[in-house]
Amino acid sequence: MGFLAPGILAGLIAIGLPVYLHLLRQHKTTPRPFSSLMFFERRVQSSIRHRRLKYRVLFALRALFVALLIFAFARPYLPFTSVAAAHGGRVIALLLDDSFSMRQDNRFQRAKQDALSVVNGMRPSDRAQLISFGGPTRLLTNLTADRSTLAAAVNGLEPADGASSYAEVARAIRSLTQSSKTAVEAHLFSDMQKTSAPANFADLKLPDGAQLVVHAVVDSAIPNFAVENVIAPRRIFSAKTGTVQATIVSYSDKDATRRVTLLINHHSIETKPVVVPAGGRATVEFTGIDVPYGLNPCEVDIDSADAFPEDDHFYFAVERSDPAPALFLHEQNDNRGFVYFQTALAAVNQPAFSLQNASYAQAASSSLDRYAFVVLSEPAGIPHGLEDALHRYVEHGGSLFVVLGPASTGRVPVADLVVAEGNSSPRDGGFNFVARVDSTHPALRSSTHWDSVRFYRTESVQPGAARVLLSLDDGRPLLLERAIGEGRVIVLASALNNIENDLPVHPVFIPFVQQTTGYLGHTESATGNYVAGAFYDLHPSDTQTDAPVEVTGPHNARLLSLSESTRARTLPLEQEGFYDIRRQNGRHELAAVNPDRRESDFTVLPPQTIQLWRNTGNGNRGVENDSDGGRGGNELWWWVLLAALAVAVAESVLGNRHLDLKEGT
Amino acid sequence: MQQFLDPVVLASISSMDLVARTVVDGFMAGLHRSPQFGFSQEFAEYRAYTPGDDLRHIDWNVFARTERMFLKRFHGDTNSQLLILLDASGSMSFKSGAVSKLDYARFLAASLSYMGSAQRDATGVIVFDDRVRNYIPPSSRQGQLVRVLHAIEAAQPGTTTDFSKPFLHFQQFLHRRGIVAVISDFYDDPDRVIGNIEPLRYHGNDVALFHVVDPVELEPKFTDPVVLEDMETKTTLEVSPEYANNEYRARFQRHIDALRTAAQRSGLDYTMMDTSRPLDQGLREYLTLRQRKM
Repeated sequence: MGFLAPGILAGLIAIGLPVYLHLLRQHKTTPRPFSSLMFFERRVQSSIRHRRLKYRVLFALRALFVALLIFAFARPYLPFTSVAAAHGGRVIALLLDDSFSMRQDNRFQRAKQDALSVVNGMRPSDRAQLISFGGPTRLLTNLTADRSTLAAAVNGLEPADGASSYAEVARAIRSLTQSSKTAVEAHLFSDMQKTSAPANFADLKLPDGAQLVVHAVVDSAIPNFAVENVIAPRRIFSAKTGTVQATIVSYSDKDATRRVTLLINHHSIETKPVVVPAGGRATVEFTGIDVPYGLNPCEVDIDSADAFPEDDHFYFAVERSDPAPALFLHEQNDNRGFVYFQTALAAVNQPAFSLQNASYAQAASSSLDRYAFVVLSEPAGIPHGLEDALHRYVEHGGSLFVVLGPASTGRVPVADLVVAEGNSSPRDGGFNFVARVDSTHPALRSSTHWDSVRFYRTESVQPGAARVLLSLDDGRPLLLERAIGEGRVIVLASALNNIENDLPVHPVFIPFVQQTTGYLGHTESATGNYVAGAFYDLHPSDTQTDAPVEVTGPHNARLLSLSESTRARTLPLEQEGFYDIRRQNGRHELAAVNPDRRESDFTVLPPQTIQLWRNTGNGNRGVENDSDGGRGGNELWWWVLLAALAVAVAESVLGNRHLDLKEGT
Repeated sequence: MQQFLDPVVLASISSMDLVARTVVDGFMAGLHRSPQFGFSQEFAEYRAYTPGDDLRHIDWNVFARTERMFLKRFHGDTNSQLLILLDASGSMSFKSGAVSKLDYARFLAASLSYMGSAQRDATGVIVFDDRVRNYIPPSSRQGQLVRVLHAIEAAQPGTTTDFSKPFLHFQQFLHRRGIVAVISDFYDDPDRVIGNIEPLRYHGNDVALFHVVDPVELEPKFTDPVVLEDMETKTTLEVSPEYANNEYRARFQRHIDALRTAAQRSGLDYTMMDTSRPLDQGLREYLTLRQRKM
């Protein structure tokens, strides 16, 4: 047992106080006068001795109380090593790095061999747990003394595509220490990449008493080149307009020339040489890309001239399609809103949507299913038949953007929100401005400067169950979203005719329209690049939980069972390659997954850093110097304080009895 | 009136004369059916004169009516003297309440003196511990009561009790027969106490023992061990509550029984006076006992 604050033990001098009270300052019993003692006998003295004994017990209790109090403040602890010894064996954590970098050469095999040798060296009383940390830490076995189970788990492990983190390792050791209540002997089998260390060294803190044994499978860095990143459009709407930009990174001390190849649908399209400076980056650009219609798996490769070819390619996906049709519905004689909206939509180089203009009467007989989204401008006079059609369209996954005008009273069609009458304009005839922006929403993620837009008239919509995305300074909602069925409805409580507000002539209008239509038309998530270990959101809308999603993995295997396809909300993207995601409404998405490029940097942690890390667990000092014994362990101050409390209660009871005796006499 | 006989109330009265009058008058007020109770001469019978009889005892009124001489005889012809022996030893100063045993004994002595003086008996007092501290010879002269009461009031606790020395001394003073009231806590061997007092009885005296005890002496109530100090010898003793509650009480009771038995055997009147009881109760008990003997 040790003390975290041994200096406080000097307070044991305070025990002198009860010593003085009980021993030095002798307690004197005042004789009680009595008329005659002729009927008493001398042999009754033992009772007084008993009483004196009680005083001695009181003295002992008081001295014990003072001592316990001082012990508690000195923070005694029982070293974990002692606890482990009490259980008769060690608790061993086998931490195996199965990250992407361990695919290099035979690193992972060496790590497994080291782990097996530790397993074989276990004593019968030892218990061990196998934990992998190539990505999120995974407990591969329970804490067991069965060496065959541990060996089988080690043998069955294969390197993954995730990134290792030593902070996760430290967290796993802390968790195991806390759960096992003993000092953990952690064996780390890793290539000790510097990039796996956290930015904050404190995250590596090992629990007190923990002993870290590092089994580094390499001791020096190797030169490496990798495709670090690719920037490509997610969707191309016309031929020979795409541009792909690839970044090549060098982890070498020499300049090198690399041949960079663009592959589309596994066919080489173009190859370019690039000189990569030592320890630097080089960019290659492929322009005029022409891809077939549909989702196209693409890849940028460099020639494999290093010791780690696994990171010499980078996957990405590009979709070729025509601009999706969208419908703008308005009153027969109101065309201002359409003009502004279409202008904003066409402001980008390759508009994703072709906006069609139609009055309510024209749209009543047309099918809405082919439109990516529908804009409903000032829907005061919308026919019931059209509203029903819009409702069905939204429930089946369609998107609707409702723009309210001055005539919009009563309720918002389809969204079923209540519009309050009156109070549409500020009382002083001025204007409102936007006071709150929900920048987490995809439609507003990068639109700023809303505060300069003036809103002269805004309909007062009761939010109800809708999510408020924009609010005015008087608290009224300006932009709302409500999910209906599998679709979504966004409601703007002010018109787009540049009369009720000046939003259409403000710069924020274009990004707002672009992002809102992209969100409504599902173009923002059609394709994307992900880092291995990320999660894919299978049900972006809360109302789509029952819609099945079919996911095919990089190895053409279905990753979700039937029940999982309807219930799973996210999908972990653990493997490198393409994930094909098909939804019930026919929407098709392709997710390209690449390993974390930090794994391509084989620079190893300096030995000094490793030593510092090991020293954060005081158990290492105990191993290196048996005389120390370590300071970490189970702190006992709480129990000591409880004991002091119990002693104080006993002292009070006994002291009160003595006090009663004195008063009685 | 009864409330004034409470020892605690009596202790608050500074004048011993007033104490005595309070007790006796109140006591007498409760005995109106037989007011003749007392120690003095009481008419018994007429007897024909025979030569040699004292002419002072001839009832001349009868002679005038009948021309025959008769002698008027009284009960207690010899009890015309009351001597009070007041023990003022150290143990008498013990008290568990407001009244010590000595206080109670003084009240009792004063009351007896007042009663005797009211009947014109010769009253005297001897205050003693291991020797005679004060002696007021019995007398029926004017002012005798004041002297007696003063001696009683001036009695202070002394040293140890020793009945042998003072009682040998008493016998020198007792020339006439009468009533001797011994007021003490009798902390001595009963046989030795009675052995010292018994000679007084041989002189024809009526001897009454008033055993003054404190209720704590009868039933000590110790909840914890205690060190006791003898008020006379100043020796200390550590006593357990178990002993005090059991064995001591039995031994003290045996002491009382032995004292009472020895007194009865020697023809002495024995009355135990508990200092927690009203004073008249003890007096009534004694006088009732005495009336039966007459």
